[in-house]
Amino acid sequence: MRLFSWWLRRALSAVVTLFLVSILIFAASRLMPGGFAEVVLGPFATPEQKAEVAAKYGLDESIVVQYWLWLTTALTGDFGISMISGEPVTTEFGLRLPVTAELALFGVAAALLIGVPLGVWTAVRAGGRRGRAALGRLASGLGVSVPEFVLGSIVVFLFSRYALGLTVGGYVPVGEDPVGNLQSMLLPAAVLSVFVIAVTARTTRDAVLGVLVEPYITAAIARGESPGFIVVRHVLRNASIPVVTVLTTVTAYLLGGAVIIEYLFNLPGVGTYIVQAVGRRDYAVVQAGVLLAAVVFIVMNTLTDAAAGVLDPRFGSAAKGRKR
Amino acid sequence: MTWWRESDWLTRSGLVCLAVLVLVTVVGTVFGIGGDPGAMVGPRLAPPGGEYLLGTDQLGRSMLPRLFEGIGTTLLLSTLAVLVTAVLATLLGIAAGYYGGWLGEVVMRLVEVLYSFPTIVLAILVAAVAGPGQAATMCSIILITIPLMTRVVRASAVTVAERDYVTSAVISGAGWPRILMRHLVPNLSGTIAVQGTYALSVGILVEGGLSFLGFGVQPPQSSLGALIQQGSTYLLTAPWLVIVPGIVLIVAILAINVFGDGLRDGLEPREARSLV
Repeated sequence: MRLFSWWLRRALSAVVTLFLVSILIFAASRLMPGGFAEVVLGPFATPEQKAEVAAKYGLDESIVVQYWLWLTTALTGDFGISMISGEPVTTEFGLRLPVTAELALFGVAAALLIGVPLGVWTAVRAGGRRGRAALGRLASGLGVSVPEFVLGSIVVFLFSRYALGLTVGGYVPVGEDPVGNLQSMLLPAAVLSVFVIAVTARTTRDAVLGVLVEPYITAAIARGESPGFIVVRHVLRNASIPVVTVLTTVTAYLLGGAVIIEYLFNLPGVGTYIVQAVGRRDYAVVQAGVLLAAVVFIVMNTLTDAAAGVLDPRFGSAAKGRKR
Repeated sequence: MTWWRESDWLTRSGLVCLAVLVLVTVVGTVFGIGGDPGAMVGPRLAPPGGEYLLGTDQLGRSMLPRLFEGIGTTLLLSTLAVLVTAVLATLLGIAAGYYGGWLGEVVMRLVEVLYSFPTIVLAILVAAVAGPGQAATMCSIILITIPLMTRVVRASAVTVAERDYVTSAVISGAGWPRILMRHLVPNLSGTIAVQGTYALSVGILVEGGLSFLGFGVQPPQSSLGALIQQGSTYLLTAPWLVIVPGIVLIVAILAINVFGDGLRDGLEPREARSLV
C-alpha cells in the first residue's frame, strides 16, 4: 500500500513535469526566428499573403490560445500537420519510427548482452593491483570519450574505401530485403554500441565494486562460496538499481533518436527528421519530435523508479520516512 | 602537492595531456605558427607533410593554424560555459539542499524539466531558438550540464548542512553569506571540481556534436566540431581533414575524463576487492 501511494505520487510528479516540458517546448518553437509564412511564401510575400497563411494554420491567434489548442489536440493523439508535406505529423513520425526503433533495439541488446557482463567481469577482477585498475579505467574511459560523429566518420571512411559487403549510408526496410536491411544497419548499430556498451559497463562496474566491499560478501567468501555463485546470488540484485537506471536511460535516449548517428549514416529516422524540421521551421514537427523524446524520457524515468521499488523493498518506506 | 604523489599514472597523464594541449594551442596561436588561419595560401586539399604540416582544406587554408584556432574556440567556449554552470549549479544546489522549502522544490522541478530532454535534442532546440552560433552553443552546454551538477551539489549540501560546524555557526549567529562562503562552498568544492571536469568533457562533446550538425560554431570561425563538419564533405578524398581534429577531440575528452575519475577517486577513496 505504502509502495503503491509512492508510485502514485511519482506518476503525478511525472505528469507535472510533462506539463512544464510541453510549455517550454511550445514557447521555444514560437521564439524561433523567421516566421513560417516567410518560409512557405519566400522572401517576396505581401503582407496579405502572410496573413492568409497565418490564418490557415492558426498562427494569428494569441499565444495562449495557440498553446491550448495544440495541447488539447495533442492529447487526442493529433499533433497537427507537417507544414512542409501537408501530411499529419503522426503519419510522418509513424514512417520514421521503425528505423529509430530498430537502431534502438540493436543498442539496447548490445548494452544488455555485452555492456552488463563486461562491467561485472571487470569489477570482479578489479581490486588489488593498481596498474591493472588504471588500464580498465582507460579502456572504459576511451569508450565514453570517443564522440560518435568522430568514430562514425572514421567508419564511413574505412568502409566506403574498402567495401566489405556492408552498405554505408541509406536504409533498406526490413520488409523489402531483410539481408540488405541488416547490411545497412550493421555499421550505425556498431558505432552506436561502442558508446552504449562503455556507459553500461562503467555504471555496472561502479555498482558491482560498491557491493563487493559489503560485509555480506566477506561472509560469503568466508563460507567458501565460489566467485560465480557469489556474483549470481549476492552481487547482481544488490547492484541492479544503477544498472537498470542506465539501461532505461540508454533506451530512452535511443528512442528519442540517436540524432547524430542517424544523420551521419543518412538513416530516415526520427532524429534526422527533427534536424531537417528545425532547418525548415516546420513547427508542428519540431514540437512533436522534441515532445516525443521528452515523453519517452519521463516515462522511462518513472518506470525506473517503479523498478527500483520492486528490486529494493526499502524504497517505498524510505521515501515516506525521510523527508529529505 | 600531496595530490600528485597519491594519484596514479593515468590521472597524471590526463592532466599532463590537457596541459600540453592548452600550451601548444596558446603558443601556436600567440606566435602564429603555420601562418594566418584564414589565409588561402596553398593548393586545395593538399595532404599532410611538406610545407603545410597538416595539409590544407578545400579552400587551400593551412590546417595547422586552423586546428590551433579550433582547439582554442572549443576549449574556450566549453570552459566559459562550464564556469557559468558551476556558479549557477552551486547556488541552485545549495538553495535546494541547504535552504530547501519551496525554493528547493522550485529548483528541483526546474532541474527535472531540463533533465527530461535528451542532450542533443535540447541543444538542437536551443540552436533553433537562438540561431546557430557560439551563443547557442554556450547556452546549450549550460542547460545540458546544469541539471546533473545541481543534483550532485544538492545531495552534498544536504549532508554538509547537517554537520556540527554548520549548526554551531548558525547558533553563534553567523549570517547566511558567512555560512555560505566559509562553510558550505569550501566543503562542496571537491564535489564541484569533480562535476566540473565531467561537465567540461560533456561541453566539448556538445560543441562538437552541435557544430557537426551545422547548428553550432559557424564558418569561417573554426572549432573542433566545425572542422570535422566541414571536412566530412571531403571524407573520401581528404580524410586528414576529419581524422586530425577527430583525434585531438578524443584526446581532449579522454584526458579530462580520466583526470576527473582520478580526482573523484582521490576525494572519495573507495575500497576495492578482487573476487578472483
